[in-house]
Amino acid sequence: MFNLLMKELRLAAHPNLFIFTALGVLVIVPAYPYGMVFLFGCLAPFITFMYGRETNDIYYTALLPVKKSDVVKAKFMLVIVAQMTQFLITLPFAFLRIYLLPEGNPAGIEANIAFYGFGLITYAVFNYIFLTSFFKTAYKVGKAFLLAIVPATLIVLVMEVIVHFPGMEWLDSVEPDVMVKQLPIVVVGIIVYFISTFSGYRVSVKRFEQVDL
Amino acid sequence: MLAVKGLTKRYPNFTLQNITFSLKPGRIMGLIGKNGAGKSTTLKSILNLVHPDAGTIQMFGKDFKQNEESCKQDIGVVLGGIDFYHHKKLADIAAVTKRFYQNWDDAAYQKYLKLFELDPQKKIKALSAGMKVKFMIALALSHHAKLFIFDEPTSGLDPVSRDDLLELFRELVKDGKRSILFSTHITSDLEKCADDITYIKDGKLLRSDEKSAFIKSFQHLREPGETKELTLEDIMVRTERRRYDV
Repeated sequence: MFNLLMKELRLAAHPNLFIFTALGVLVIVPAYPYGMVFLFGCLAPFITFMYGRETNDIYYTALLPVKKSDVVKAKFMLVIVAQMTQFLITLPFAFLRIYLLPEGNPAGIEANIAFYGFGLITYAVFNYIFLTSFFKTAYKVGKAFLLAIVPATLIVLVMEVIVHFPGMEWLDSVEPDVMVKQLPIVVVGIIVYFISTFSGYRVSVKRFEQVDL
Repeated sequence: MLAVKGLTKRYPNFTLQNITFSLKPGRIMGLIGKNGAGKSTTLKSILNLVHPDAGTIQMFGKDFKQNEESCKQDIGVVLGGIDFYHHKKLADIAAVTKRFYQNWDDAAYQKYLKLFELDPQKKIKALSAGMKVKFMIALALSHHAKLFIFDEPTSGLDPVSRDDLLELFRELVKDGKRSILFSTHITSDLEKCADDITYIKDGKLLRSDEKSAFIKSFQHLREPGETKELTLEDIMVRTERRRYDV
């Protein structure tokens, strides 16, 4: 498994994947729609998959002494590692901004617990649609991306807009006692991300088995 | 080494039908046919890259489908027209690839890099078509592959590089431990280096035989008065010739 991940990081990943992953730091920008961070986390796999098609990455992997399902496993691992790394990168900056920018984010949601919950749901929805659609053919990256990015963007839009609605201010808070109320959102996010990953993997393996390369 | 039996693959507009042949250790088999005859489909079906509708593949005495991972440990593949990771250095590709092979031999890898005059710091895109094939062969030799499967390895090469590669093929099988299956539509490649020939026409197997027996079996294509033995090119051209009534 480690070998497959190394292969993805050293050969398959477009340099852009590392840059977009690092964009987790954007949560320190004073006024910015932080949901963009998650959309960068969706855009990065798309560019890497396009690059993979150009470099015949799927062929190369399929010719290595691995099972066909390992080709799918490698791609899932790359996407998850990139998104979780992006998450980790945002964390110290989300803490820092509480002290550096106490006046909050006028553009949209704060980098709080609800934000992470919505982020996990965004990733989960994008990953499931993007990866299962891609592995139907292993080359139609654009179509898979279009199908996946529309619902992902809608979730981000809802997250950014809802905090401006009267009565929804609690979603925009970074006060510890208010953030407790946001905890269910992150729990739902974690569950949805797990379900999306496991069922998405199973469906993708089944679909990719049928593909003639 | 390799036994293909009843290989069949149906596409909406093309069917590869009942392909059967076998390859012994120490031999080079040329898979010939015109463009679109089904050569690549045959090779890809052998490698499970496409799903055959029927047929069995025995490799090293084992069923390939049941033992895909272990069989792949002992083969080297070059697919024509498909080159990998053109922006990566040879050293980076080798560093990743070696992790997957139990029998990877670093000393052998260094030896073949030198032998083939490959600079590990060069990027794939900087290699000529012939050098790309040689790099893939160097990788395969470094994990001690016993069976080499090449899809049109010589197409697009200049005559000197082609000759050089065919010479290398002969050297590879000299010790009788390795075998090569390669597809081509260039009949002079076969004259020069094949021991056996398998001819596919429109998805069907015409004949698979030892080279001289193969040539002999097609001499009925000679026209009245012709005394000279037909060459492989004559055989292929006469078999494939179409008449246009325009």
